[in-house]
Amino acid sequence: MKEDPRIALLLALADDELIIGHRHSEWTGWAPHIEEDLAFSSIAQDEMAHARLLYGLAREAGLTDRDVDALALGRPPAEYRNAVLCERPNGDWGFTVARQYLYDTADAVRVAELAESSWPELAEIMKVIQLEEKYHADHAVAWFQRLAGGTSLTARERFAEGLTAAIGEAIALFEPVPGEEALVSEGVLPRSNEDMLGEWLGHVGQELEAVSLDYVLARHGPVGEMVPTGSGEIPLEASDFQVPGVVRREGRWAHEGGFAGAGGRKGRHSEDFLPLWEEMTALYRAHPGARW
Amino acid sequence: MVIRTDETDRIERDVWATLAGVHDPEIPPLSITDLGIVERVAVTDDAVEVDLLPTFAGCPALDVIRQDVEAAVRASADGRDVRVRFVFTPPWTSDRISEAGRRALTAYGMTPPGQRGKGPVVVPLASLSRSEGVICPFCRSRDTVLESAFGPTLCRTIHFCRACRNPFEGFKPKTSRVPSRAPLPPA
Repeated sequence: MKEDPRIALLLALADDELIIGHRHSEWTGWAPHIEEDLAFSSIAQDEMAHARLLYGLAREAGLTDRDVDALALGRPPAEYRNAVLCERPNGDWGFTVARQYLYDTADAVRVAELAESSWPELAEIMKVIQLEEKYHADHAVAWFQRLAGGTSLTARERFAEGLTAAIGEAIALFEPVPGEEALVSEGVLPRSNEDMLGEWLGHVGQELEAVSLDYVLARHGPVGEMVPTGSGEIPLEASDFQVPGVVRREGRWAHEGGFAGAGGRKGRHSEDFLPLWEEMTALYRAHPGARW
Repeated sequence: MVIRTDETDRIERDVWATLAGVHDPEIPPLSITDLGIVERVAVTDDAVEVDLLPTFAGCPALDVIRQDVEAAVRASADGRDVRVRFVFTPPWTSDRISEAGRRALTAYGMTPPGQRGKGPVVVPLASLSRSEGVICPFCRSRDTVLESAFGPTLCRTIHFCRACRNPFEGFKPKTSRVPSRAPLPPA
């Protein structure tokens, strides 16, 4: 039986939220000041809740027989479909806020589209998510303005380095999901990922130009080499060391080429995923069937 | 199908009255009816159904609220099954909080959502967002700044009043272009 493509879409969305939520939660207790500690902890709590809603929908719609915990914590690493951007370690504060800015502006584009999905249960969840994501976007924009337009050159430089490191993998948030054509033709996904990427990249390009940081789009490179999945089903190729291209065309920044070096939507991850997975799932694996 | 009888009408009124006594564990002075999360009460021959709207999807109080509602409604259900569930349509927004709920929040020291002063407001450079000027619940001044849009719970913001020099919390505004109104209990 051919797999329903809706499961690939739900896992891509939910795994992104779960994994970036896990990274955000790592700031709990460690952020530079208490307001940011609360901010990242709260955003993490929101993102994990959104993942839970989407996993729950997968089960309710009969797309899987696994419950929410089994989907979030009970899958082997190669079955996670998050974009690689979400699994990168927090690293410098400049990278953390650059990634949050890129992720949440990209997420806003797809959430707005999916709130109009022809699949009513998905649309209603997305409308709820949309209201909550607004605060994440506000947080990201405030940091963008503070670091890119503030008075500290060091802060601006560290933010620019974070953007340079994150932008290529942020583009891969829009890597097509398996079965996307069917999803688009049925209106489950109202616009293709490539189409949404065009809108997002155009918008981000304008914002970066406004603060003279658009050079990060031209300069970006990979932050760490890609590794094949544990199962080895997707072999390592020369193209794995590339990142998605960006060009300036007719006055706006646009995506060029494919998604070489990406692969999150097919279950391929970076060397940073396994340690995250081991920690995130440790309790679940040590105590199968535990309830909390 | 719900067939209304005098008995189901009476139970429905009782259930609404009971729900007005169930409080949000994270904001104790606020009842769940004043919070506007009760979307529907339906009484049939064999069941009482209550649909609730989650305020924030990640709110850890949701399970506690569900259990409290189940326990409270069982007493008014005349032996019927009690079915409590969370639904997502319409999305809960903070304009569903009743006037009584807004007064309870202010008395608790928390500014209700969307309560702003009128006229120009000084926006300090370092502030995190545009929502300055919410009214201080202690001295009613609007010379306040938003310290953080993220507070001790998902539904709270943190502010500072420059007039009385007190920190205070606000109920986080959550609004939609589509206005949402909580249903009123049957008269």
